[in-house]
Amino acid sequence: MPKIEFKLNDKLVTVHSTANRRLLDVLREDFNLTGPKEGCGEGECGACAVLLNHKIVNSCCTPLANVDGQEIVTIEGFSKTKRYQIIKDAFAEMGGVQCGFCTPGMVIATESLLNKNPHPNDEEIRIALSGNLCRCTGYNMIIKSIQKAAKDGDGIW
Amino acid sequence: MVDGLIAKSLNEALEALDNKEYQIVAGGTDMLIQNRSHSGMNIDYKKDVLYINLIDELDFIKVDEKNLYIGANTRLETILESKLVPQILRDVVIEMASPGIRHTATLAGNIGNASPAGDSLVVLYLLDCELEIKSLTKTRKVLLKDFITGVRKIALNKNELITKLIIPKINLTDCYFHKVGPRLSDAISKLSFACGYSVENSIIKDLRVAFGAVYVTVVRSREVEGKFIGQSVNDLKANLDDIINAYEPLIKPIDDQRSNRVYRKNVAINLLREFIENIKED
Amino acid sequence: MKDISKSINKVDNEEKISGSAEYIADIKMDGMLYAMTLRSSIVKGEIIKISYPKIPDNYYVIDHKDVQGKNIVKIIYDDMPIFTTKKISYLHEPIALVIGPEKEKIVEILDSIEIKYKEEEPQFEWEDSVVDFHFDKGEGERVFDHADKVISYDYETGYQEQAYIETQGFIGYQDGDKTTLIGSIQCPYYVKNALIQALDSEPENVRVIQSTVGGAFGGKEEFPSLIGCQLAVAVKKIKKPIQLIYEREEDMLVTTKRHPAKIHFDAAIKENKIKGIKAHVGIDGGATIGLSGVVLSRAMLACSGAYTIDNLDITGDVYKTNTVPNGAFRGFGAPQMMFAIEMFVEHIAKDLNIDPLEFRKSILAKQNDHTSTNGVYRDPILMPEMIEKAMKESDYLRKKKAYANPNIFKGIGMSFFFHGCGFTGSGEKKIIKARVRLRKHKNNKAEILIAAVDMGQGVKTTFRKLVANILEIDIENVIFNNPDTDYVPDSGPTVASRTMMIVGGLVARAAKEMKQRWREDEFVVEKQYKQPDYIKYDEENFIGDAYPAYSWGVNVVEVEVSKTTYQVKLVKTWSVYDGGKAIDEKVVLGQADGGLAQGVGYGYLEVMNHKQGKIQQKNMTDYIIPTAKDMPDMETYLYDNPYAFGPYGAKGVGELTLVGGAPAVAKAIENAINKRIYKIPVTPEYIMELINNAKN
Ligand SMILES: Cc1cc2nc3c(=O)[nH]c(=O)nc-3n(C[C@H](O)[C@H](O)[C@H](O)COP(=O)(O)OP(=O)(O)OC[C@H]3O[C@@H](n4cnc5c(N)ncnc54)[C@H](O)[C@@H]3O)c2cc1C
Ligand code: FES
Ligand code: FES
Repeated sequence: MPKIEFKLNDKLVTVHSTANRRLLDVLREDFNLTGPKEGCGEGECGACAVLLNHKIVNSCCTPLANVDGQEIVTIEGFSKTKRYQIIKDAFAEMGGVQCGFCTPGMVIATESLLNKNPHPNDEEIRIALSGNLCRCTGYNMIIKSIQKAAKDGDGIW
Repeated sequence: MVDGLIAKSLNEALEALDNKEYQIVAGGTDMLIQNRSHSGMNIDYKKDVLYINLIDELDFIKVDEKNLYIGANTRLETILESKLVPQILRDVVIEMASPGIRHTATLAGNIGNASPAGDSLVVLYLLDCELEIKSLTKTRKVLLKDFITGVRKIALNKNELITKLIIPKINLTDCYFHKVGPRLSDAISKLSFACGYSVENSIIKDLRVAFGAVYVTVVRSREVEGKFIGQSVNDLKANLDDIINAYEPLIKPIDDQRSNRVYRKNVAINLLREFIENIKED
Repeated sequence: MKDISKSINKVDNEEKISGSAEYIADIKMDGMLYAMTLRSSIVKGEIIKISYPKIPDNYYVIDHKDVQGKNIVKIIYDDMPIFTTKKISYLHEPIALVIGPEKEKIVEILDSIEIKYKEEEPQFEWEDSVVDFHFDKGEGERVFDHADKVISYDYETGYQEQAYIETQGFIGYQDGDKTTLIGSIQCPYYVKNALIQALDSEPENVRVIQSTVGGAFGGKEEFPSLIGCQLAVAVKKIKKPIQLIYEREEDMLVTTKRHPAKIHFDAAIKENKIKGIKAHVGIDGGATIGLSGVVLSRAMLACSGAYTIDNLDITGDVYKTNTVPNGAFRGFGAPQMMFAIEMFVEHIAKDLNIDPLEFRKSILAKQNDHTSTNGVYRDPILMPEMIEKAMKESDYLRKKKAYANPNIFKGIGMSFFFHGCGFTGSGEKKIIKARVRLRKHKNNKAEILIAAVDMGQGVKTTFRKLVANILEIDIENVIFNNPDTDYVPDSGPTVASRTMMIVGGLVARAAKEMKQRWREDEFVVEKQYKQPDYIKYDEENFIGDAYPAYSWGVNVVEVEVSKTTYQVKLVKTWSVYDGGKAIDEKVVLGQADGGLAQGVGYGYLEVMNHKQGKIQQKNMTDYIIPTAKDMPDMETYLYDNPYAFGPYGAKGVGELTLVGGAPAVAKAIENAINKRIYKIPVTPEYIMELINNAKN
């Protein structure tokens, strides 16, 4: 059995299984990290988003093989950070959450964006969210949440 | 059950390929979806898999006086952020998928997938992209247009790997890419269009047009382009109908769940017309 | 007392943002088996023979023979089998569940099952009417006898898929005689009642619990009863925990969708006024009737839109075709009709050479006018001020004029609309008979016991807020857990924009009583629905007040259309709603954004069709819903127009916000391209046809 090692939420982990698995399944099943969700299983909705080396990827179309030696952060890991607190408060305050199924993915997309571009404009936010489908909110309040997070978190990204 | 081998160096990958046939997987954004079975189940590959995404030596963007070189493993998002990459290529990349996909997907993957709707292909055809292809014992170069032979068909031997894209530096007065998708982002093209020209002293020195998703492969005709190169801008515009008539038989789209052939053809011609009409004299 | 509309942060934000909320797929049980569905590969015919491979130990096949009760899913019209016995009436009709511990093995079994069919010619034409309704108002058809002229048009609407981001699913387990299902559902008691019939169990031996729901929009109203029954039959027999979760493709191919509709209108015109309207509404029910009759009646009742038309003659049919059954979707028949009538009135004005806006304003419904079924709009209607507001904020008149220039390819469109709140007709009184309970706990906490489901629309927050406000206690001291039929009474399904108005009204009454008795240690208050006396409705003949109250709205949508590619880009939207008193402003605004996104998506973007009974858009790549790049900035204004019987004056908002989107965007596109639009979605392909072929 191959052995795949990677950093998961700040801890070094080893998976003994075939490399031909989706990262999403490994996270949800081997590590019981159910924050990343399966909405479409084909890279379209972003509910399964995680950070790979600080950048958003869709874990449903990331092969386990591709994270060997890399660093993965899921919403569970990210929620321990100060940046998360700011994003969370902003989403709560601005009404960015309805059914919540897209929300962890939206938070990951927000972090990936702000990490690269701490002061995004409206268009940049929309591009950053373009792989995260939300059927509940029409995105309006999510965009306002991200604007607020960028403002409140000035200096920490 | 099929195996999965993770290569971390080019040599390791080429040696493996020399030994037996593998399904090559880079970012996997096409391969995982195409071989997907069920949630929670292994990916349903039909043969052993060679993972190449972690080969760092294939992740680069370089230039010299003649060419731009993009490594097979360079992620789309890296290309997007690179100042070395011509704008038209960045314009196509930003219209591909979404940030999450772009952080792992590659141009070599888009080429290897050889889908008629592969967006980057249109621009890469337009730019006369060449590929460097390696096996353990041989390195060869091939023009992209000769490499893609049909829908999901490429001229790659079992022991070979695409290692880099070679994009000649050209001087165009203007060039652009236009994607026509069912929505404004994160969507498969209904059709796409790329074009460019250069003008000197009101004479067309270079003229390039490529269409995506209107035929089994990208449509670009050197022959048609050649007919109009050398004309004055005014003549070219006066000959708009000839140009359209020359391309018309090459555009043979299909009906599918995303659009229909009439629309595809109509819009392809509209885009062509718009391009020609907007050509400027110096 | 502080204004209840003032927003608070939602109570479930924390768990949802951090990813710790448990959706159905996040729940794992020891020894849990997986279930997958065996489906027909033909569209119509009969099963002659099924050959199963040898089924290994611990694997099971469950089919109609295992159904101990009635092999019919209890919905509204009971014609859907739980598993087909023999007859196939649509592609992918469920035949059996294959169950076991390893998915790989289940797939292998499924792949090696051989089915022999006798195929029959499927029916896709809309010919076989299985429900038909008719009603008149005023002179009915006779008004046409003295018309100057008749204006007629046909309108068409397509499928729409709910596209909740969380697919359908349940987990079930058996505990002694008791069968329990946990699921992503809107209506715990619909499922429970369906299970009682399917399992032939005593009510106390069936339990249904709601997990966190990742979006529903009507899609989890009646469909879960089907797969709930299938799973429960298996659980009761196998006596092990089993998970049945749909993958996206399965969900798209086989779950219920919004009914495609064709609407024909004739208007009797006299002295440049509409004297009467004759309409026929046809909807495609798919292979079973299910809720289609109720959807049809809501569509028909909405036939005069936000206007008052004195004479009506309205007929409608549900057609049975060999396609996937259609069902509930936010709006429930109204979006189809609201699109058609809004376009029709506009087109009549254009034919008569009258300014459409003035024409429409002149026939707006007013307080005390008669509804399409001769009920009465009893409450004030604020549409004139709401329209003023929408026009001012959007700079409507100036833009409309400027965009009339055919070379600009920009457009602005405005829709007027209403939505009847709550169940149609006497549904509340006769069928639902909602009951709610409030429990006072010893520690001075109050617990809300209702079957209403928070599927993102904020019920958990608004109900706790409502009760806290009345009891004048902190919201932390109000408990509201996900409904579990072992604990909550049947307060009815979470549908029809009834939750706050009807269930909330009852909860408010219970809370007021609790407030009086707050000093007592521990007690329960229960309330049951009573229809206001003045509401009378004759179901058979469509006469009277079909709804206790009406919500109203105005949507303005601005677009740009590309003259090269015919693609539509939304520029901005402005909306004004009267949904009664907002129990929480932010929650209502969230409904407004999300509803409008679905409404405009329905109008210009979301294409779904079938080819020989097979749905063509089987995943989220092919079924296009708006992304953040497609949606523009949205502005919303709420008008406070309290309804006497709703809590604090609340009416319905959930569906209202969807119904006006399609006509608004269609009108905007009409304005941009100077061609008339008769069908939605207004795709680039359709726009191209209109520009190239249609006369203005
Ligand atoms: C949600 C979603 C949206 C998408 N949107 C778009 C879009 O807008 N436009 C578009 O064009 N595509 C789109 N795609 C398709 C896909 O992302 C692209 O084709 C991408 O470029 C593939 O790159 P990859 O590295 O992930 O390829 P992989 O899946 O790893 O490989 C694809 C093919 O290329 C071959 N291959 C890869 N690298 C090499 C190599 N070095 N040598 C030889 N063969 C190789 C593989 O064997 C395979 O056959 C989308 C995909 C998803 C899931
Ligand atoms: S589940 Fe991965 S993108 Fe939808
Ligand atoms: S909140 Fe429901 S999908 Fe986004």
